[in-house]
Amino acid sequence: MKKYHLVRRADAKLSRTLIFYAVGILVSLTIGAIVLGVLGINPFDYYGKMFTIGLVGNRYGYKSIEGLLKIFVPLLITSLALSLSFKMRFWNIGGEGEFLIGAITASIIAFNSSGMPNFVTVLLMCLAAMISSGIIGIAIAALKVRFNTNETLMTLMINYIMLYVIRYIGETKADWNFFLREDSERPKFGTFPDSAVMTGIPMGQFKLLWSVIIALALTAIVYVYLKYTKQGYEISVVGDSSATAKYAGMSVGKIVLRTMFISSAMIGLAAALTVSASGTISDTVTNNVGWTGIIVAWLSKLSVPAVFVTSILISILQYGCQAAATQYPAIDSNYADLLQGLILFSVLVADFAANFKIVKKEEAKNA
Amino acid sequence: MEYAIELKGITKSFGPVAANKNINLSLEKGEILALLGENGSGKTTLMNMLSGIYMPDSGSIFIDGKKVSINSPEDSGKLGIGMVHQHFKLVERFTALENIRIGMRDAGRFMHGADVRKKIEDTAAKFGFDIDLDKTVANMAVSEKQTLEILKVLCYGAKIIILDEPTAVLTVQEIDRLFDVLRKMKEEGHSIIIITHKLNEVMAISDRVAVLRHGEYIDTVVTKETNEKALTELMVGRKIELNIDRPVMEKTHPLLEIRDLTIKNDEGAVAIDHINFYIRGGEMLGVAGIAGSGQKELCEAIAGLRKIEDGQMIHEGESIVGMSPKKILEHGISMSFIPEDRLGMGLAPSLSITDNMILKNYNESKGIFVDRKSARVEAQKVIDRLEVVTPSTETPVRRLSGGNVQKVLLGREIKSGPNVLITAYPVRGLDINSSYTIYNILNEQKKKGVGILFVGEDLDVMLALCDKIMVICHGKLQGVVNSNHTTKEEIGLMMTGTINIVNKEGKTDGIAKDSAFTDEEVKA
Repeated sequence: MKKYHLVRRADAKLSRTLIFYAVGILVSLTIGAIVLGVLGINPFDYYGKMFTIGLVGNRYGYKSIEGLLKIFVPLLITSLALSLSFKMRFWNIGGEGEFLIGAITASIIAFNSSGMPNFVTVLLMCLAAMISSGIIGIAIAALKVRFNTNETLMTLMINYIMLYVIRYIGETKADWNFFLREDSERPKFGTFPDSAVMTGIPMGQFKLLWSVIIALALTAIVYVYLKYTKQGYEISVVGDSSATAKYAGMSVGKIVLRTMFISSAMIGLAAALTVSASGTISDTVTNNVGWTGIIVAWLSKLSVPAVFVTSILISILQYGCQAAATQYPAIDSNYADLLQGLILFSVLVADFAANFKIVKKEEAKNA
Repeated sequence: MEYAIELKGITKSFGPVAANKNINLSLEKGEILALLGENGSGKTTLMNMLSGIYMPDSGSIFIDGKKVSINSPEDSGKLGIGMVHQHFKLVERFTALENIRIGMRDAGRFMHGADVRKKIEDTAAKFGFDIDLDKTVANMAVSEKQTLEILKVLCYGAKIIILDEPTAVLTVQEIDRLFDVLRKMKEEGHSIIIITHKLNEVMAISDRVAVLRHGEYIDTVVTKETNEKALTELMVGRKIELNIDRPVMEKTHPLLEIRDLTIKNDEGAVAIDHINFYIRGGEMLGVAGIAGSGQKELCEAIAGLRKIEDGQMIHEGESIVGMSPKKILEHGISMSFIPEDRLGMGLAPSLSITDNMILKNYNESKGIFVDRKSARVEAQKVIDRLEVVTPSTETPVRRLSGGNVQKVLLGREIKSGPNVLITAYPVRGLDINSSYTIYNILNEQKKKGVGILFVGEDLDVMLALCDKIMVICHGKLQGVVNSNHTTKEEIGLMMTGTINIVNKEGKTDGIAKDSAFTDEEVKA
């Protein structure tokens, strides 16, 4: 017989949550430090470089900021989009797949855009990506609404389908395949013509890409959308209790379709901005935002401001790990991945510990 | 003498509500004991303590004369107690054999061993069960599932079998067959407790009857020495005088008329069977019936949430059949439905009081934004008027206590100014004061000329509050009685299906003289 029970803490204090988070991060950093020590690297040096994302003592510091933002923008938009569907209790775990669809359609336009004005091309890329990703989202939502299929399975499978589609494109040398470089014998993704590459506002050497501004604007829009609009209200009600929503006269199916379209279209937009900013596409273009976004959304408890902050922190972690890893020959980006995993895992455990406590069964019964 | 089960002074409370108060009960070996009581009288709670789902706050349980403590369903099983729940506990995708096998702890490693099958087949043959062991539960009819449940507990070696309303889902022939099995089990020396509302079944199958009322043990009588009328009296008790106002209003024309309404429940069985009734303005019509007699389906159908099979629903002369919930709402029919879990329908528990206030009319404001400013004012008004205890208008409804949740729900329904108000179990789980507040709210609405359908469970309250009471039993209308000219006993007998006064004494029940139905509509 089980003697212990998990009980949700009655009071959710922010201070306790933060303390638990701090402890969790400290534990993971300590484990990371031990690994570094074994490899003969001073962990303080390494962590110092990591948290300053290679800014300190770097002549090309602005490059670091640009690199960081390139990670940050897709993660932020994807996390926002996922929060939208999670708020409705629609478990969209197909962020990867939806991202890839958007990336592919945006690239189709990009590769065929020579000579078009830059603004028009990028706009077209965004629109095409949003529509194509949105259609996939709406299709999955429609299956759910009409036949009550399991959206978790459906969105999950989309990830693999799209992953293999892009691998197929990337590995198939053929006349029709304009994605690949013509001058290379081996199949290799080509680079976009200048017309399809994202521009920005130059600030000295640093260039603030339009995608960053779009992402910031989107954050504000999603915040207002969820908090103040009727559609946002409908999402909350449907997520809270779809029986209540029906009883209140809402057409739940329509709301689910609409929200999933918006959610997937936003992920498509993130993809278009990403490929345009990097000027090429690859099968690792997603940088796992579809997965990381899920973690960001839940760590943030689906609150938009929290999503914003969490996305920044995770981007710093990712980029900092990579940046620091490049300076030590003994370690590579795998260590960065390991450390990231450790930190995310310990934060999730900390989050759990901050919300639940373990009590003896007798107490649980009397509670 | 030694009893199979003896309960002494069992008490169990859920928060402030006492579900069982000081209950003494005994079950003789080899007898069938019927446990009788109204809804919420504590029958199921009591039996759940025997099956290890709940633990009593105080009191002792004796099995075969020995004091025992039952901490889990496993303990209960080891003591030879087997419970057949009202809602079956079966794995849909497993076969009958597999469902039985998974609970057999000591039958070796293999799921489909020959000895397992032999054991089950032997038990089935012994008690005369007719069951296909290789059929998956998903393909079974309700009666087959029940047979399986009973066979299951017998295979686990239960000597004491508890059946929670086993006949509710069965047809007459199936009930006969079940009773044959029960008698056979009795011959084999098993002791049986059967929970039921149906008096004719009590008379037919039981040796003794134990009666509970409002969580208290009333009496145990020998079946042969009693009759249905005496049992009803024990079950519902004498009329208690309550100080609930019942303002008498000038009744207006029929607002909502229901003709020949037939509705199916989620399982596809007929829940409401050709019912006629109407509500006039300024009138409160009570709906009395044993739990699960079709009240839920009726409310959902009127609110447009459930498809109807047959019949007509006319509101102020216009048919509302097939209208969307929203349209019906706009017509002025408002429902505050309080299902078992109270928050399930009607409120969004995680949202604030403000957000719940505008659940039905958030779309009326102009533009794309939700008008929370006026919603907050409305919420504050409801809080002030109905004395809702809450830290603020922004508190999630989930955090409020039961009475306050109900007040919020009713407050919103009234706010929209409906002319027909459907309310189901509005005082369930509330203390006396909160209940009176709710009664006052309803009476105020009645004074305004609103027609109210009050689905309730406490007959004393309904007699005091409602002008007329319509009684249903298994989805069938048993009659509509005037609260001034009826007794609790009469309603009790109607609820259990013992008497039916529809169209007796030259009355045509449920059809208004000044009906808005035209002749063609009646024919159609």
